[in-house]
Amino acid sequence: MNFLAQSLAIAAKDLAAEWHTKERFGSMAFFVLLILLVFSFSFKSGGAALHETGPGVLWSAFVFASLFGLQRSFATEGENHCLDALRLAPMHPAAIYLGKALGNFIFLALIETLALPFFGLFFNLSPGLYLVPLLGIFALGAACLSSVGTLFAAMCSNQRLGELMLPLLMVPLIMPALISCVEATALVLANRPLATLYPHLRMLAVYSLVFTVLSLMLFEYILEE
Amino acid sequence: MSLRFNALFSMAVFITMLAALYAVFIYVPSEREMGVAQRIFYFHVPAAMSTYLAFFIVFVASIQFLRTQGAQWDRLALCAAELGIVFGLIVLTTGPIWARPIWGTWWRWEPRLASMLIMFTVYVAYLLMRVYGAGAPQIPRYAAILGIVAFINIPFVHYSVNLWTPEQQLHPTSNTLLDPRMVYTKYLCYSAVFLFFFYLLSRRLGLEKIRQRFNELQDRLDQPPDSQMKGSILG
Repeated sequence: MNFLAQSLAIAAKDLAAEWHTKERFGSMAFFVLLILLVFSFSFKSGGAALHETGPGVLWSAFVFASLFGLQRSFATEGENHCLDALRLAPMHPAAIYLGKALGNFIFLALIETLALPFFGLFFNLSPGLYLVPLLGIFALGAACLSSVGTLFAAMCSNQRLGELMLPLLMVPLIMPALISCVEATALVLANRPLATLYPHLRMLAVYSLVFTVLSLMLFEYILEE
Repeated sequence: MSLRFNALFSMAVFITMLAALYAVFIYVPSEREMGVAQRIFYFHVPAAMSTYLAFFIVFVASIQFLRTQGAQWDRLALCAAELGIVFGLIVLTTGPIWARPIWGTWWRWEPRLASMLIMFTVYVAYLLMRVYGAGAPQIPRYAAILGIVAFINIPFVHYSVNLWTPEQQLHPTSNTLLDPRMVYTKYLCYSAVFLFFFYLLSRRLGLEKIRQRFNELQDRLDQPPDSQMKGSILG
């Protein structure tokens, strides 16, 4: 098997496991809904809220949900020494990273897309074709979150660090991507011309690419015993 | 490093720091527009440079550690990260003290301020990881990975913060230093702060080396005596 096939096999394994249990997906989706509710109650909703707090609320919900989901992505490997088995498998450690990151990316992108109707409902968003670019921002945002998140989730599967560390490590590092996601989402909600989005989209694309490549290079040092 | 070197080094730091304080508070004239408040910049700017320098040292030491597994690189990364936090705190406190009379408010979401704050949080997380994970054999490796990722993140922070903030860059440029005495004071303060930075780094490295040695010795003491010895004691 070549490198790509190995990563796809890992991603397929994660997705299949999830398909059978639906443990992660269900809890993440519910969690996003809860956070949207919390924010709707915390800030005055309606009217200007959609443009003022809406994008921030949406992305805060995604970041929290991603922390929740990323933790599980390596926690399940801890059961029955699955991670040791993965280490022993005849493949490059970077393939494990890429497969895991791909699985996380699919999860996050799905959750984000699923959350959009609820967000629209709570914040009185009028539906329309002008929202389509949001899907692109969601995809890029999910790529950013999973590129950095998968690396740190692997670190925090170490018992000494524990799950407490993941938010502490990930939130500061994800800040630049978060800023661009929020800004780009605000521009789409305000129905601005697409050209105004480009600086943000470029930033997100470069960010996810750089951190994916960097993680591919560094991942073997995490798996080493 | 020898005791003699340390003594000379500390004397040099002490003297340049005294001279810098004299220059800032007595020798240099006040800037025309900003008045007395501008004097804080003689420490604010070199502290900011030292912070970046510290983060760069963490980056290089982290790469070297992953390549060579040498414990000295791990120590260097740890000590430099701590100093980065200390000098970052100096920047983040002197900044608002200056901003209060000049901008009329302690804090503004101005690009450089926001970037510094974000980077500061990243390196606080770095130190937290080292504290929580202390003793685990993987932690130096994980910390090195974080040290690399955190440094690569810096340009992204600057770029995204510039896109985001509604405010323009509001820091004064050094063109306002017209009087030659201001220029002398600036360079004197740069030397004082940089010397202080390297002095602290060398002392902190020495301390960390001793601490690691101490831990090694303690571990050796705690090890259960081998069976042969146990036998002889029991016998």
